[in-house]
Amino acid sequence: MKKALVAALLILAAIPLLLAVSELPPHGSASNATYTHVSAYYLEHGAEEAGAENIITDVILNYRGFDTNGEVTVIFTALAAVLAVLLLGDASTATEDKPSHSVSVVVSFIVRLLAPFIAMFAVYVIINGHISPGGGFQGGTILGALAIVLTLVLGEDEARRLLPERPKPWLQAAAPLTFIGIGLAGLTDTGFYLGFPTAEALSWIRTMWLLAIEIGIGVGGAAIIASIFWTMEAER
Amino acid sequence: MVSWPHWIIVAIIMPMAGAVLTPIVSRKNDKAAPVWALFIMSLTSLAALFLIVRVAQEGPFSYLVGGWARPYGIELHFDEFSASIGIICLIGWLALLFSYHYVAESIPKPRIPYYYTLVLLNLTGMIGFVMTGDLFNLYVFMEILSLSAYALVAVSGERVAEMAAFKYLVMGAVSSLIILFSIGLLYAVTGSLNMADISTRLAGIESRLPVMLALAGMAMALMVKAAIFPLHIWLPDAHAIAPSPVSAILSGLVVKTGVFGLLRVYQIFYGAGTYELAGLNTTLIWLGAISIIMGAFFAIFQEDIKMMLAYSTISNVGYIVMGLGLASQYGIIGATVHIFNHALIKATLFLGAGALMYKTGYRTLTDLRGVGKAMPLTSMAMSIGAISIVGIPPTAGFLCKWYIALGAFQAGQPAFGFALVFGALFIFIYYIRMVNSFYFQPPTHPEILEVGEAPVSMLFPVLLLAALCLVMGILGRIPLSFIEPAVTRMLGG
Repeated sequence: MKKALVAALLILAAIPLLLAVSELPPHGSASNATYTHVSAYYLEHGAEEAGAENIITDVILNYRGFDTNGEVTVIFTALAAVLAVLLLGDASTATEDKPSHSVSVVVSFIVRLLAPFIAMFAVYVIINGHISPGGGFQGGTILGALAIVLTLVLGEDEARRLLPERPKPWLQAAAPLTFIGIGLAGLTDTGFYLGFPTAEALSWIRTMWLLAIEIGIGVGGAAIIASIFWTMEAER
Repeated sequence: MVSWPHWIIVAIIMPMAGAVLTPIVSRKNDKAAPVWALFIMSLTSLAALFLIVRVAQEGPFSYLVGGWARPYGIELHFDEFSASIGIICLIGWLALLFSYHYVAESIPKPRIPYYYTLVLLNLTGMIGFVMTGDLFNLYVFMEILSLSAYALVAVSGERVAEMAAFKYLVMGAVSSLIILFSIGLLYAVTGSLNMADISTRLAGIESRLPVMLALAGMAMALMVKAAIFPLHIWLPDAHAIAPSPVSAILSGLVVKTGVFGLLRVYQIFYGAGTYELAGLNTTLIWLGAISIIMGAFFAIFQEDIKMMLAYSTISNVGYIVMGLGLASQYGIIGATVHIFNHALIKATLFLGAGALMYKTGYRTLTDLRGVGKAMPLTSMAMSIGAISIVGIPPTAGFLCKWYIALGAFQAGQPAFGFALVFGALFIFIYYIRMVNSFYFQPPTHPEILEVGEAPVSMLFPVLLLAALCLVMGILGRIPLSFIEPAVTRMLGG
């Protein structure tokens, strides 16, 4: 009875949604506003005025960089939320008496063998995001996943050494801090927050700044993913 | 000084940078976190002050982030409605000051730096939310403020707090998703994300159904955020169980972002000019009226003082939404000013309740009997808050409710004007219960008479806010005339 009611409600809600979506301008039609208005401008001018050959990178880091500035702050908020809700009253006693995972020798060996290559791939994705699909978010996730895999194989204490205590809060805040730093540099240089130098001769500065943001996002993202995992692991 | 164009970005970047640096600043010294947060909010308030003076002098102004022309980049737009940044900074600053002693005792120690981080992030989100002129940017700031709000409810670590936060999270996340979907629909038909640009382009759209669905989706999701009956079920627990300074921020400010979002949606659609909004208006008026009555009705039966205040928030947001739905000059002016006044009043009451709980350890009206003699200043401040929220003339609550009632007559819906008065009567009953138990009943726990006032860091915010409730009653015309040109512009299209 309850299931039937839920199904009926879902169908009832789906009807207006589907009707509305069916009235949207069709994909590929030349008059579709999503092709003719803002994005047409990006495609036409993006490569030369925004600093990256990859238009996606141009949009998320330059034209709409402020949104991404906010998004990395959302990710930082997620970390602060996890720490504020899960950190224990007394941090020192939290880690004792942990049953150690027994991982098969083969898995352990393969993971340790692959680790440097995974890290290399993450760096490649971050830096190459400039001219091809990829970038800080993707590369940072790969790096964070590597930290998680190593935690499972080496045990927590060993893996935590990847992120030393002293630089840890700086690395966790890397993405918003890089954004704010570049934003303020842009403000002094061009008179707009997150403004990138527009002169043709300065295109290398534009490229360097975009790269700095990508690296900041990558490092910050990885540190946050790993920290969230370790905090939840300690809670288990 | 005032005309320096970058204050608007400083007002967002300052608390954002302050938040991410809080764990670093407080690494060696726990006590550093609250001082740092207060310092950051003081600077932010300064920027806010310059922005408000500028908008009063020269009217709305824009800031192009990255220097990209509208609609290609992101535009920050500061109009008279954005002046709510003033109340965000004020309540935020006072809640941080109040937290200094309160949080040190009620939250596990390693969590404290992250508590201040989250409060600053929450304020960042709200400040960005009221100043942005871009629909997707609005969503980004809404996520910052929502995510930090969920965590702040759970921060005390009690089991009930975690349950309340989870309920809040589920409702909030679903509503965020609907807003994102609606933004996607609007982008699909207009190809733009800039609010002003969408508004112009919407006028010429042929397929109306997606646009109407986007409008309905946004209105519904924002009503969840604003806790309008029957979408309010997450609010009472979340607001009552959160630490008191957080309750003040949530009830005074965060629920209002839902209403503020509705205001922005209205601006877009009024600007487009060719859309029939009568259906939405009627829905808002009715749901607003039902919220007023139901919120007040439930509040009467609450024993827990913070639970009572939480239900009272549902009533008051009902007033604001009803004022918006009336779509008349007076109604909207009253609604927007009530956003401001209710924030003052509810922060007084929640911080006052927090001070009572901090000193006595009790939170129900029966247990708190006789506290008026033990903590005379706090009780007096809370009584002022109570008279203000009922809307008795010399206080802050009166003028805006009067305007909303006038708006009902102006819109030719006098019956709702009476609903409003009826609601005020209900509200009067349960606040009288509170005052009665504070002053006129023999104490349930005799030892309550021994407790003194709370420390200055808690007493000062409560007294200042209570004083402002009185001052805003006397100087109530100032915000009304300040907001008037914006409302005229909005309704004039």
